[in-house]
Amino acid sequence: MAKSTTEILAWVAQVFEAPVEKISLETKMGQIDNWDSMGVLTLMARMDEDFQILLTEEEIEQMRSVQDILDVLRKHGQLEDKP
Amino acid sequence: MRFLFVDRILDMVPGKSIKAEHTFAGGEDFFQDHFPGFPVVPGVLLTEMMGQTAAKCLDAESRAKQRGKAMLAQIRSASFRDWVRPDENAIIKAEIKSSQSKFATAVCSVEVRGRRVCSAEILFSFLSLENFAPGYHDEVLEAFLSARERGKEQGNG
Repeated sequence: MAKSTTEILAWVAQVFEAPVEKISLETKMGQIDNWDSMGVLTLMARMDEDFQILLTEEEIEQMRSVQDILDVLRKHGQLEDKP
Repeated sequence: MRFLFVDRILDMVPGKSIKAEHTFAGGEDFFQDHFPGFPVVPGVLLTEMMGQTAAKCLDAESRAKQRGKAMLAQIRSASFRDWVRPDENAIIKAEIKSSQSKFATAVCSVEVRGRRVCSAEILFSFLSLENFAPGYHDEVLEAFLSARERGKEQGNG
C-alpha cells in the first residue's frame, strides 16, 4: 500500500539510522552520515523488502537527495499524492 | 585457529536455502577466556557461522562467477537465546530472502539439541573473485557439490 510523504520521511530516517527531525525533502546525500556506500546497499535492500522495488543502476545513480528517493517511490506507485 | 565455521553442508538449494553443521571441539583458545569455568561459544562466532553458511548458499548460485563472493555487509538483527557449549553439534540453517546482483539478504538460525539457540538477519554484498588469492576455493562447498554430482551419476547409472 502506498505511503504518505510523512511515512516515507520516517522510513528514510530508519533506513539511514538518522534522527527523523534531520530528514526533509531537501536533505541531500552528504548531509546524512550513514548515506555512504553501505547506506546505498541498505537502501537497495530495504526498497526490495519493503516495497518490492528492484532499483536499476540508473535509479541508484539518480538518488542524491530524499526528494529523489520519493520520486523513485512515486514512479513505482508507492507514494501517495497527499502529504 | 582457522576461521572456518562450517564443517559440512547437509542440504542445499543454491540461492534458496542451506542446512549445515559445525562442532566447536573444545580445544579452541577462546574457551579459556570465554569464560573460565563456563566455556561457551561467543555470539560473534555464532553470527559468523550463520554468515558463512548463508554465503555458501549464495556462492553456489551459477551467477557467482560474475557477481563475486558473498561478503557479510550488515548484521541487521541478531538474538541469542541459549548457550552453545564445547563439543555440541550445531545445525545452521539459512533461508535466502532476496538475492540480487548487488546485494542479498538471509534469515539464519542455529539449533543445538533440536532447540533454536540464536538467529540473525544478514545483509550481504559481493566482492569480485579477482580480489582473492589465485586458486582460492571453498572446500566445504565443493565437497558438497561433488558428492551431489556423484550421487546423481550413480542414480543415473
